Amino acid sequence: MKSLKAQNALQKIFFYAGNTIIGIIFVSPLIWMIAASLKPEAKIFANMNSIKTFIPEEASLDNFIEVFRRVDLANVFKNTLTYILLILVLDLLINSICGYALAKFRFRGRKLILSFVVALMVMPMEAILLPMYIEMSQLDWVNSLPALVVPSIAKCFSIYMFYNFFKDIPDDLLEAASIDGSSPIRTFFSIVMPISKTVYATVFILDFVAHWNDFMWPFLVMTGKDKRTIQLAVQSFFGTQPVHYSAIMASLVLSAIPMIVMFVFMQKYYVEGIASSGIKG
Amino acid sequence: MAKIEKLSGRKRDERIAGYVFALPAVGLLLAFLAVPIIYTIYYSVFQYQVMRPNDILFVGLENYKKLFSDSDFWISLKNTFYFTIVVVPVQCTLALVLAMLVSKKYRGVSFFRTMYFSPQLTSMVVISVLWTVLYNSNPNTGLINALLANLGMEPINFLTNEKTAMNSIIFMSAWQGAGYQMMIFLAGLQGIPKDQYEAASVDGATPWQQFLFVTLPNLKGTIKYVIMITMIQAMKLFTQPYVMTQGGPRNSTKTMVYYIYTQGFQKGNFGYACAVAAVFFVIVVAMSLFLQKVTADK
Amino acid sequence: MKRKMLCTTLAIMMASSLIACGSSKSSDDAGTEAAANTQGDMENAVITIWSPSDKESIENWWAEKIDEWNAEHPDMLAAREAIDRSDSYAYDNKIATAVTSNDLPSIFFVDGPQVSYYAANDIIVPITDYFSDEIDDFDPATQAQCTYNGELYAISATQSGVAFYYNKDLLKECGVDTDDLDSRTLDNPITWSEMADIAKKCTTDSYVGTHIIMDHGEGIPYALEPMYLSAGKDYISEDGTTADGYVNSDEAVKTTAYLADLIANGYANVDPITDEFLNGACATELGGSWDVATLEANADFDWGVTYYPVADDTKKAVSPCGDWSAAVSKDCENVEATGEFLKWLMNTENVASYADAIAKPATRASSYDEECMAAYAEGPRALFVEQLQNTAAPRPRTPSYATFSTDYAEAMTNIFSDAASTKSVDESYIKEQLDSVAESFAEDYNTYYAK
Repeated sequence: MKSLKAQNALQKIFFYAGNTIIGIIFVSPLIWMIAASLKPEAKIFANMNSIKTFIPEEASLDNFIEVFRRVDLANVFKNTLTYILLILVLDLLINSICGYALAKFRFRGRKLILSFVVALMVMPMEAILLPMYIEMSQLDWVNSLPALVVPSIAKCFSIYMFYNFFKDIPDDLLEAASIDGSSPIRTFFSIVMPISKTVYATVFILDFVAHWNDFMWPFLVMTGKDKRTIQLAVQSFFGTQPVHYSAIMASLVLSAIPMIVMFVFMQKYYVEGIASSGIKG
Repeated sequence: MAKIEKLSGRKRDERIAGYVFALPAVGLLLAFLAVPIIYTIYYSVFQYQVMRPNDILFVGLENYKKLFSDSDFWISLKNTFYFTIVVVPVQCTLALVLAMLVSKKYRGVSFFRTMYFSPQLTSMVVISVLWTVLYNSNPNTGLINALLANLGMEPINFLTNEKTAMNSIIFMSAWQGAGYQMMIFLAGLQGIPKDQYEAASVDGATPWQQFLFVTLPNLKGTIKYVIMITMIQAMKLFTQPYVMTQGGPRNSTKTMVYYIYTQGFQKGNFGYACAVAAVFFVIVVAMSLFLQKVTADK
Repeated sequence: MKRKMLCTTLAIMMASSLIACGSSKSSDDAGTEAAANTQGDMENAVITIWSPSDKESIENWWAEKIDEWNAEHPDMLAAREAIDRSDSYAYDNKIATAVTSNDLPSIFFVDGPQVSYYAANDIIVPITDYFSDEIDDFDPATQAQCTYNGELYAISATQSGVAFYYNKDLLKECGVDTDDLDSRTLDNPITWSEMADIAKKCTTDSYVGTHIIMDHGEGIPYALEPMYLSAGKDYISEDGTTADGYVNSDEAVKTTAYLADLIANGYANVDPITDEFLNGACATELGGSWDVATLEANADFDWGVTYYPVADDTKKAVSPCGDWSAAVSKDCENVEATGEFLKWLMNTENVASYADAIAKPATRASSYDEECMAAYAEGPRALFVEQLQNTAAPRPRTPSYATFSTDYAEAMTNIFSDAASTKSVDESYIKEQLDSVAESFAEDYNTYYAK
């Protein structure tokens, strides 16, 4: 009994010591970023050869004040959240029903669509940027909200995730509903959706993070202050020579806050979401 | 009789529902992903300077011919595969180790999880800028080389030596990405029945044996899935070489997507870039369909 | 419970940042003006402008100027949009996409060496007529950089330069005569061997001797071209048609070997950090004119700056230059009004106030008579103006510049990396790399521009 207790204590020590050491390695660049945001410009790259670089000697909020002066942050957050939430609502709806159809309905072309989704999953945005832009201009969507939102709604990755999750829902559950006279479409909204909150949360987090960090597409299709998104505001600090890393770091810290809030809120669902997304083949 | 009628009615309902449900996403994918890809293939048979959209010249398969004798293309392809082949096991193993570290329900465990996930929360551009500084070759200005110097080691030119540049990017990418795969593994770990561990421990299995004979077999499906998505993401490598090394030195970090981007935008050879992209598409699509086949159930 | 607290804390942080933002808005009206990155009404304007977004003082300058113009010309309203960009390549992408959809504004800003690229592709139109009577007031380098095929295609208000900065404290520590450096004139600049000698003497365990701009991008051809010119050969032929026999000439190989030697010997870092000089990690640097303001504000050591070094044999003084220039686009519908506007925008007073706001040397000689330019009469700033008016040479004027610049930067990265790894200079490798730059230049030029 005693040895078991000792073993437990040992495990505990191992858990905290191991996680603290490795955790520091993982979080240190982020700490550096926060430290840099509090330093004056001239001191950011000073002491890079010692641990002192992680500690702002003369901490001040000047860099943050500069960001607030140059960027209308409330407006930028509002713009970014508006377009991301618009995408995400449609993203969650359209991709989930597609994933459900692929997982649970028998219809001709199902296999073909599934292969199509998997094939397109690997398409890198950077390689088809200009053709995408040309299409936007042919639709006369440049500089309007549809250019920002519509092409980003359907995502192969999300469809595949939903597909994997819905695949594992027991058929008995759905058959029971159908015997009760519920149509397949109604069954989805009244039974499947409510028990799948977790996978929705997962896709929400992944896509939120991806769009929050997206720069090139909003940069190309949008021009104008009222349409400025968060990454455009951050990148504006890279400006002309000399590059002011102090303001960049401060703007990055500010831009990371909404994501951290979201991640901490959603983390519980996140784990469960992936747990049940049917990946145990 | 009535039952059969009901069933066939349900089948018809299902078919209709299938099309209704799949159509919006498939339609959008066709319109905004397939159409640009078709454009890419279309422009690949033209000589097209990006600043001269009104002055494009049909050249047939000329761009493709050029591509096969273009050593930069083959190097980029090789580098992309090298990166993928190395980063996938490294990153997946690291992710599994992290997941094992934070799988027990100790107090503060969610804090550590957030720590490991945190590199995902800043844009890749910034992470790359930061690591460029950390990797700096001079011990007076680079943190990692300063640590090596304290250990009495010679400084390493991480990003400016063709032998170490790609491996440095691999290490940094694995560090950045592991938190994501960790969350998936974590979920898989939570799904393993507790009694299996108890049985093993009654039989006198050491923790290492438990890992080998209980954890790993139960994680098989998760591992397959994680390997597949990590490979797909690895094939798209772009930001790290773009920010940290510009494909150098000596082409050692030039990847396919980086090559397409610099040809198409920076140098303006849009027609040629489209040909490179088209060939790359064929390769990655074939690969991902193959992966889907081997990782599929049954 | 703990998690809830963390969430609440973060939520409060976020909310307070928003409130702080709102309050800074109400308490400081000038700040709000600057925060807006559009000046004027883009929808109804006759004259529309795109330029890279910049610091507050420049955003304010634009607001003021647009208001001034619009008050006097209600029939020719102007509006300006600040373009956010991560690097100059991103800005070029924006132009490239706007070209495909014919969405260019009336005026857009281009980086100096890109003027020929846009001009040769008919993206921008000549503006010679609007500036014919005052063009001589602009410095010769600006005139040259903005001219393609005998026509003026762009015009800039400010310029930049590079010179040799030295940290007097560190130099004295290493026994280098700083008074000698202080006393140099444009007729008697330091030579390459003197520069190498100082770099050698000043390389210690805690800092390196010198610093060469190594941003892997446009900074390399920009900062290093005068070395090649001083040795006798430019990167590209005068008419902009060939690089063969220029960038890969014997002179160019020798020049490149000189630079690679500094790195092979450890006198300069192959991947220097930003602000290396400011942080005392290098004793001297080939640094930009923009560093003057940074050093004045932040340096905790005594420093000086002298003229760009010259080749030992020719002693020919040359210095870098180049800056963003305004050009009129092919999509401009009202060229007449736009030309008038540009002429007004680039008048003596406006050039002076712009140069003052952005803290760069002005292009117009007459602007230096304005009160706000007084700081340029002496000290380091005067040195840059002197270089600008006497020794500045623009980068090659060729439509294939974008290709050249990318390939040259890549070749130099390869050469310097090789020198740093092997700690020796391999001239045959240098030749091989520069040959491939010349080759791909020829391919680009012959494909798109040779008639």
